[in-house]
Amino acid sequence: MSESSSHGGFCPGDGIRGVEHPPTFPDAADPLLNSLGSEQPSGSKGVLLLADGTRFEGTLFGTEEIAEGELVFTTGMCGYQESLTDPSFAGQVLTFTYPLLGNYGVHPGISESSSVHPRGVVCKQHMTFPDHRDSVGSVHDLLVAHNIPGIEGIDTRALTRRVREHGTLLCVFGPAERADEMETILREMTPPDADDLVADVTCDEPRLLNPGATDEKGESLPRLAAIDCGVKHNILRELCRRFEVVWCPASMTLEEMNRDWSPDALFASNGPGDPAHPGAATDARKTLAAAVRQGMPVMGICLGHQLMGLAAGLRTYKLRYGHRGSNQPVMDLETRRVHITSQNHGFAVEDPIQGMLAPHPSGACSEVTDNVLGAEFKVRHVNSNDGTVEGLDLLDKPAFTIQFHPEACPGPHDASPLFDRFQNMVAEHLNRAGTEIVTKEGGA
Amino acid sequence: MLGWGGQTALNIASALAKDGTLDELGVELIGCNLAAIDEAEDRDLFKKVCEEIDLPVCKALACDSIEEVIAAAEELGSFPLLVRPAFTLGGLGGGTAFNMGELVEIASQGILHSAIGQVLIEESILGWQEHEYEVMRDGSDNAIIVCTMENIDPMGVHTGESIVVAPQQTLSDSDHQGLRDAALKLIRRLNIKGGCNVQFAVEQSTGDYRVIEVNPRVSRSSALASKATGYPIARMAALIAVGYTLDELPNPITGEGTTAAFEPTLDYCVVKIPRWPFDKFRTADRKIGTSMKSTGEVMAIGRSFEEACLKAWASLEYGKPHPRPLTMSDASDGETMDERASEKLPTALLEDWLRIPTDRRMGALIEAFRRGYSIEDVRDLTGGITRWFLRRFEKIAAIETEIRAAGEIGMRPAGIPGSEMRSWKGAGFTDLHIADALCGFPESGFKNLPTGQDETALRMRRHELRVHPRYRMVDSCAAEFAAVTPYYYSTYEGGSAESGVDYVPGLSSSVKQKIAVVGSGPIRIGQGIEFDYGCVHAAGAIQDLGHEAIIINNNPETVSTDFDTSDRLYFDPLTLESVSEILLREDANGILLQFGGQTAINLALPLANEMPHLSTMGLELMMEGTSPESIDEASDRERFEEFALRCGLRMPDGATATTPEGVRHAANEIGYPVLVRPSYVLGGRGMEILANYKQLESYMRDAYLSSDRPLLIDKYLGNAMELDVDAVCDGEEVLIGAIMEHLEEAGIHSGDSTCFIPPQNVPDEILEQVEEWTRVIGLELRVRGCYNIQFAIHDGLLYVLEVNPRGSRTFPFVAKSTGIPLARIAARVALGERLRDLDIPDPQTDAVCVKAPVFPFIKLRGLDPAPGPEMKSTGEVMGSHVRASAAYLKARLATEIPVPTQGGVYITVKDEDKYSMIPLAEKLKGMGFTIYATRGTSIVLRSEGELEVETCYRIAEGRSPDALDLMRQGKIQLVINTPRSTGGAVLDGNMMRRLAVELNIPFVTTMAGARMEVEAIKEALDGIPEPRLLEIKSLN
Repeated sequence: MSESSSHGGFCPGDGIRGVEHPPTFPDAADPLLNSLGSEQPSGSKGVLLLADGTRFEGTLFGTEEIAEGELVFTTGMCGYQESLTDPSFAGQVLTFTYPLLGNYGVHPGISESSSVHPRGVVCKQHMTFPDHRDSVGSVHDLLVAHNIPGIEGIDTRALTRRVREHGTLLCVFGPAERADEMETILREMTPPDADDLVADVTCDEPRLLNPGATDEKGESLPRLAAIDCGVKHNILRELCRRFEVVWCPASMTLEEMNRDWSPDALFASNGPGDPAHPGAATDARKTLAAAVRQGMPVMGICLGHQLMGLAAGLRTYKLRYGHRGSNQPVMDLETRRVHITSQNHGFAVEDPIQGMLAPHPSGACSEVTDNVLGAEFKVRHVNSNDGTVEGLDLLDKPAFTIQFHPEACPGPHDASPLFDRFQNMVAEHLNRAGTEIVTKEGGA
Repeated sequence: MLGWGGQTALNIASALAKDGTLDELGVELIGCNLAAIDEAEDRDLFKKVCEEIDLPVCKALACDSIEEVIAAAEELGSFPLLVRPAFTLGGLGGGTAFNMGELVEIASQGILHSAIGQVLIEESILGWQEHEYEVMRDGSDNAIIVCTMENIDPMGVHTGESIVVAPQQTLSDSDHQGLRDAALKLIRRLNIKGGCNVQFAVEQSTGDYRVIEVNPRVSRSSALASKATGYPIARMAALIAVGYTLDELPNPITGEGTTAAFEPTLDYCVVKIPRWPFDKFRTADRKIGTSMKSTGEVMAIGRSFEEACLKAWASLEYGKPHPRPLTMSDASDGETMDERASEKLPTALLEDWLRIPTDRRMGALIEAFRRGYSIEDVRDLTGGITRWFLRRFEKIAAIETEIRAAGEIGMRPAGIPGSEMRSWKGAGFTDLHIADALCGFPESGFKNLPTGQDETALRMRRHELRVHPRYRMVDSCAAEFAAVTPYYYSTYEGGSAESGVDYVPGLSSSVKQKIAVVGSGPIRIGQGIEFDYGCVHAAGAIQDLGHEAIIINNNPETVSTDFDTSDRLYFDPLTLESVSEILLREDANGILLQFGGQTAINLALPLANEMPHLSTMGLELMMEGTSPESIDEASDRERFEEFALRCGLRMPDGATATTPEGVRHAANEIGYPVLVRPSYVLGGRGMEILANYKQLESYMRDAYLSSDRPLLIDKYLGNAMELDVDAVCDGEEVLIGAIMEHLEEAGIHSGDSTCFIPPQNVPDEILEQVEEWTRVIGLELRVRGCYNIQFAIHDGLLYVLEVNPRGSRTFPFVAKSTGIPLARIAARVALGERLRDLDIPDPQTDAVCVKAPVFPFIKLRGLDPAPGPEMKSTGEVMGSHVRASAAYLKARLATEIPVPTQGGVYITVKDEDKYSMIPLAEKLKGMGFTIYATRGTSIVLRSEGELEVETCYRIAEGRSPDALDLMRQGKIQLVINTPRSTGGAVLDGNMMRRLAVELNIPFVTTMAGARMEVEAIKEALDGIPEPRLLEIKSLN
């Protein structure tokens, strides 16, 4: 079943053929590894206030501070640690619809980043005594270690229905005695989408994750530049099995990548916030578009997919309440097969014919722009629940993007063959390029 | 389609396919392929399949003989070893062996019960966690997991016998995804199109796992998964079987626009608890393991595990609606031993209850934490129950202690603060549980709490605080989408919420009358699926009349708990508290209690008493049908005697007593033999025929008497013929559905009898009297709706034995025999329609219909397989034909006990039967059977009947050959034994019956039965009777 990892840290190059000393990075659970037993939450009363005036009372856990952000919910029944550490949740207050949170504790080495990203956590019942062989602490311990507040005892069913009916909305929660202060915060709060969230979560400098990686025949793997808009660790793990991966900051340009790393292919990751934000997300979009124009193989996941959509001249828009969970059905229009996928996004790419499906009441969407890819595209995947666009294939270019998460974690593995698809696409591209070179040389 | 009828259908269909019948007829098997069945069911093939796709399975060896079993044990090395027979239902004949002796014993049974004579000897994974995955796949290879489930009882206890939780609680995402991948890999490899169930064992400390088995069909677990998630697995599997793909089908829960290709996600916890028959079968071995002993199950939904668990407990109807501190009275195998309620359960006994899985283990878990046991202690004692679950039970005990402590410092219901009330209710504690805990769980029981401190006081306080449950929709999507399923459960959310009534789509705008139907709860002895049939018809009748039908029930195995049977379904306990809250929430106009068996009818009086309070909260409710007053008149023995006297109806002499002296006196007055039973019971619980003073004293040792629980003592009418009548009365007219004649004499419980429609041996004048008395009883008791009467004919005189003012278990049999939709008619009459206004179809009269009981003896060791006044059957079958003997043969064949057409018959009958046995023995001889008999019987047969008979010894004589030897040697294919109630013959009878059950040899205990058996054999020799088309007409 799970390969239990008793040690902490994140080392995506570990165990890859041909790699000798892969770099290790922090994992969000690391601080729990050497902590001496866990402390229980104090049981202080808390309140949760929504922008529409709704008020919920509960009990605090995690750090007993005020949390503010955009209220979203995820429907996954397990995989909370992966969600809590998913950078795409930056700026948000995360509600778990499954009422029992933390049953199996927090495990070393399975976080999706080095920290906890939601600004606050809302649930019905937090489990103070987790039970699992790999557990090194409770969710409370994890939140305390990362200075994140949580509130339990909330009627999350009612809360979810409110979000479903009104769309995602702003909220604040914290100690009951600071309710007045929180009301002020809520009045003055600006939507987190306005912040350059990608810049907050991207890496600082490019790093080669699995130097010298080879395939089973001992041949070097193609090199991939992975743009980190808030990349999940498991995406990097999946990529490292197929490519020699350079982990790149979101604002790094294609010229810089080509100059310093000479990648064979490009990958654009998931990430938080509005894909049309003028900051780091736009930088990443330019890199992605340039790579496509250059004919480089490109794959994008989640935010990476939205960036491709924008570059293709489609608008992106805020969804009513987004797709967050492990049971989102996606139909591949080519094979007519349905995959159950893991998803976490609040924005979507409009459908070229039907436009914006399931939009947020605010109507937030990007400006109309031109297709700058130098290629046409088609919608390859759609969500079978609401029909929203879930994947784009470029025509005559080795590039595709998907809105859902084939790396899972949390969630089902149904879509993981898409990484193989990209690997084959890159191999084919390199073969063809090789053949072309040979032909040219032969011709000369 | 063979994947929907359980193991029975699977076995029959695969046999038909294999012998070429299906090909010959040009019939295609759809929804499941035979290769998949073989690969899933044949242990060896299944192992190969798993190895082929790299899935780990238990090390195991398939064996076709005891020699191979012994060799396999040596190869596998260490005990315990598991024995699993191939191709059986519910793990019949399986078990865990701790040494070679046990292994040989269990394996020989297993080989016998396996349809292919094969058992699997397997490495033990005792103590591992058990997880289940419900998988669906369509013809385009779309595959989904509908539901995951985790058993609280570790491996070693059959999943049907385990407390099961959905979704799984203790696996991490990567653990879960690993098993999900494995389950999908399996369904794809087996190429199953439709539903299947995959079971895994997980070793929690290492994460190691094994694939245990695949059920390549819709199973008991699928029913649970469907009710747990709202996803109708069986229906979707059927649609897939006829060629649809999941993405083509609209999502049945969220409606148009979404598709069935999705995985349900839950925002609640589901707990299923099996319902065992040990409250009735006091002598049966309570140990649960790899074979099924439970007869049914309850399910409950809550927003926390604790809430779901306590709600499920309250649904069980075992007598204790909530956990209480354990005392010696709980250790009694008898009816009750309330006088020992002051003795705390000894530690050694408590630890036994933790160690050995039985129905008592859940109560013992909470008791252990009450007494301060640590999580690790309990885990060790229970052989590895997952700590996470133990924490939850510890939490329940802790909250209970908190309430008790509050009571000790003087808190009374009227003084409970709002925050405490919300917190306790939020943890799933019922009003009665809280009241009982505040009183410190008095020895005198939860029923006798002082006024002002009882359930009513608690409820008044809760209502004063405006604390009511919220009703949540089971929508399969955690509220992500607006759902259309009218399927709800109650929950008390904590926090500050005002007494909120949840949003119900369309409820406020509804102008229709709302009528609630109370279901019958878990399937148990005496209250089977027949009552669900009535509830479903009642809901239909309500809708026929243009009203909205609301069903309340807690049994996941039923049709009544399908969300499209009613306008709104509430999956909640059938207690006064939860039913009242639902009525309030619905603002219901009426309630129908006639169809949910004793469970529902027992609510009539308490609800009537509660009505004044509920009406102050705005509820204007009609108790539809027969009034609680009339129900009481029919059910209360003394009142009914007065009634019978007034109406000129004959009853057997009888009396009611509340003291031992009273019982003795009454028995002497009436004269032995007497029939003794507690009042207000269903299925004859605690009912016995006592031949003399000695037996009476023995009965009294176990019985509990008090003023509110009297004993009824009746003259036992020996050799009487019993009749059952199902009828409907509208106040002016009576419709008799059918008169049924029992094959067995009166005294054998009517639920266990074989009965005939129409009666075969009743004189016309008696039938006329039966009809007349039925009319008198219906009209004079002011019945509105259905009722059932049991009559006896003794020495040519008709007696009324009892009247049940409700739908009976024979309603479906009557409807299917006569073609008259009796339950539907009864419900419409109960709702106020007149019989004369209904267009009632004529009954079919061209055939005889026979109902025969099906018994669970093979699963329940320690239970005497002789029929008696206590009901023992768990189900029934029906046969129908123009000839009574052919109808009987069909019913007999359907019981799955063979009807012999050659071989030997063993006859031992009591003296008064010996002469009437002669013609039967002659017939058997004439059909080619060898007759074996004990000395006494053979002398009569030889001398008076001039028959050739082989004599053998009585078992008590201790010489060979006796009956047991002959049975074991395969020489006996039928046993006719009319038991005497004294002497060595009693023991002989017991041993023979037990062995006959184990060897699947038909065993007849009455002369009437013997006569029919001979007729059936004659029919069988003539060939299997042709099928007959049944038709049930509908009402307009």
